[in-house]
Amino acid sequence: MSEEFKIIFSGPMGAGKTTAIAAISDEAPVSTDVVNTDRAAFDKELTTAGLDYGRIEIDAETSVRLYGTPGQLRFRFMWDILGHNAAGVVILLDASQADALVQLDAFVEAFGAGKRAPLVIGVGRCAEPGALALDAFAQRLENHGLNLPLFGVDVRRREDVLLLVDTLLCLLEVSDPARLHA
Amino acid sequence: MSAGPRFGRVATGMAQKHLDTFAQTTPGVVSAVLMSADGFEIVSLQVGKGGAARLAAMGSSLSAIGSAIAKEAGIVECNRMVIESDSGTVVIMNVPESRPPMSLAVIANDNSMLGQLLWSAKTCCAAIARAFRE
Repeated sequence: MSEEFKIIFSGPMGAGKTTAIAAISDEAPVSTDVVNTDRAAFDKELTTAGLDYGRIEIDAETSVRLYGTPGQLRFRFMWDILGHNAAGVVILLDASQADALVQLDAFVEAFGAGKRAPLVIGVGRCAEPGALALDAFAQRLENHGLNLPLFGVDVRRREDVLLLVDTLLCLLEVSDPARLHA
Repeated sequence: MSAGPRFGRVATGMAQKHLDTFAQTTPGVVSAVLMSADGFEIVSLQVGKGGAARLAAMGSSLSAIGSAIAKEAGIVECNRMVIESDSGTVVIMNVPESRPPMSLAVIANDNSMLGQLLWSAKTCCAAIARAFRE
């Protein structure tokens, strides 16, 4: 029997959600990028206003639908819409952003801290000057009594993003099988 | 969350006047928000501050998804979206050739007539586009 999972990529603006989905999707991803007028929040030209969508076949029997959320808090309603019936969540963070630990708290809490659905965290730009160490994210989770899979990643690298998805699929295998068919 | 000052006080002032005129001359208009494509309220009409920010964010998401669907369907660009219910109508219409891109979201009750609402909204969007070009 073939299986199809729905996985959400979330995280703050500029963390690389659109890039991550594009890095692994088998087909050209659907993007809803628009002009970013809030350069003070993050200095990039485009930002996601609706969703990203891609799809990847893991093997002949298994495929994954990949949905990316907008990162800004004003689009919080899209997190809930896209997160509905998700089998798991990948949270992406940018270690070079000053408020990265606050963002970690916010997104982990928004997606149920791994209790509603399995959750994996990918932290990018760890090597940039002034970036937070990966240990700081692990310590923050530990302070909240959470033990969630945490990886340093470069979301432009297919193998890094696949590591996050594979980890999520492993967690799904040992959790509620009913989630697998959302 | 308003982004008005980023778009220029003169242009946003004129946009507010066009929005007021639109509401006064179009039956059934309950509220409206002019928003940037990335979800910031620019000017609004008869919406509480929190409600305007929320409508701006939701309207911009819908507009972006509409554009993605239009591209996927090969019809190039989404000009407007209409959500109809028994008690009212929501129209989200792109402001043509605006830089930065922006859209108008209008909520109307059952006193509105769809054709008239769309025509008036289109005229309002064209006037707003001129205001931001000048």
